[in-house]
Amino acid sequence: MSNLPISKCLSWFGVSALAISVVFGFDLSIAAAAADHAAESTVNTFISDEKGGGGKGAAFVFWIFALSSLGGAIFVITRNNMVTAVMGMVGTFFAIAGLYLMLYASFLAVMQVLVYAGAIMVLFVFVIMILNRPEDEPWVMHGILGKGVAALGLLYLFKRLAGILWEVKDVQPLVLDKAALNVDVVLNHSDPALAAGAVEAITRTYEFGSVEGVGYTLFSKYLFPFEAVSIVLLVAVVGAIAIARPTEEESAEDAAEAEAAKEAS
Amino acid sequence: MSVFYDITVSHFLVLAAALFTVGIAGVLLRRNALIVMMSIELMLNAANITVLAFSRGFAGNNHEAAYQGQAFALTVIAIAAAEAAVGLAIVVTVFRTRRHSDIDRLTMLKN
Repeated sequence: MSNLPISKCLSWFGVSALAISVVFGFDLSIAAAAADHAAESTVNTFISDEKGGGGKGAAFVFWIFALSSLGGAIFVITRNNMVTAVMGMVGTFFAIAGLYLMLYASFLAVMQVLVYAGAIMVLFVFVIMILNRPEDEPWVMHGILGKGVAALGLLYLFKRLAGILWEVKDVQPLVLDKAALNVDVVLNHSDPALAAGAVEAITRTYEFGSVEGVGYTLFSKYLFPFEAVSIVLLVAVVGAIAIARPTEEESAEDAAEAEAAKEAS
Repeated sequence: MSVFYDITVSHFLVLAAALFTVGIAGVLLRRNALIVMMSIELMLNAANITVLAFSRGFAGNNHEAAYQGQAFALTVIAIAAAEAAVGLAIVVTVFRTRRHSDIDRLTMLKN
């Protein structure tokens, strides 16, 4: 952090605060309208307990995950040290996995941790260890004016995006109760013997969002996309090896360097 | 303050919008190729949150529709892994030939 002095940080945050107040213009009407709406109509609670009331514990957990994912994301793009940026990214991915759990996608939460925090971030760390070169000027925009313009533009983008997405809550969301989370699935439903009534249907109960549920969808209706993804992964692996492999001159140079190093020692 | 207590679909969607904006900031404002790639991953994750929030919130009792979103998000994760592999390979190659990974100085294809 030695190359990011406090005065620079303060000016950055000052410009951001100014931009927030200009763009939003103390326009808290969205929040006020939302509060009115919730007060007068039946509350469209998304995360709720069995009685249909808003779950304060769930809300607490949501805010923790939301703030940690957002904080981790901002941490990532403001760090000059690459390894700390990757660590912030891992934290963000864990928080996003928690959000997936709140959205009843437990299998996807596990995949998020395994694939992103496990595989992709390890790949990033490897590449950082290969590169290992500090940069001179990390930001594209210079000075307080450039950063102010950038912050204003980004805040405007966020305002437009959030303005559209915030309206979505007026659509009545479904509140899944615990009974709806366990689904009976009739397997082998295309079996003609089943249609004839000769065999009894095999029913299995599984939790919503589990491996079984996602797998059943993936291997029945979305079999072709699933197989296409495997082709994409194969092509990506072959392409990555073909791109990153040193050319013949480079490997000859490396061999010469290694030989010279051996002789020198 | 029911905005804070009653978590709706919109909370997840606006959080995804915020993460997406941070990702765009990283792509546009940083010059390090690796940070730019991490920001792309961030934007993909924001899109995934959106997909899952919609699948959770608006599928109704149609569980098949809810699983469509989850299958889509899983596909996005797989594609993101492929993209990271190829992108990092490109970064390594560029670094090997140019001795830097500063995207503002990579202007060989200009003019």
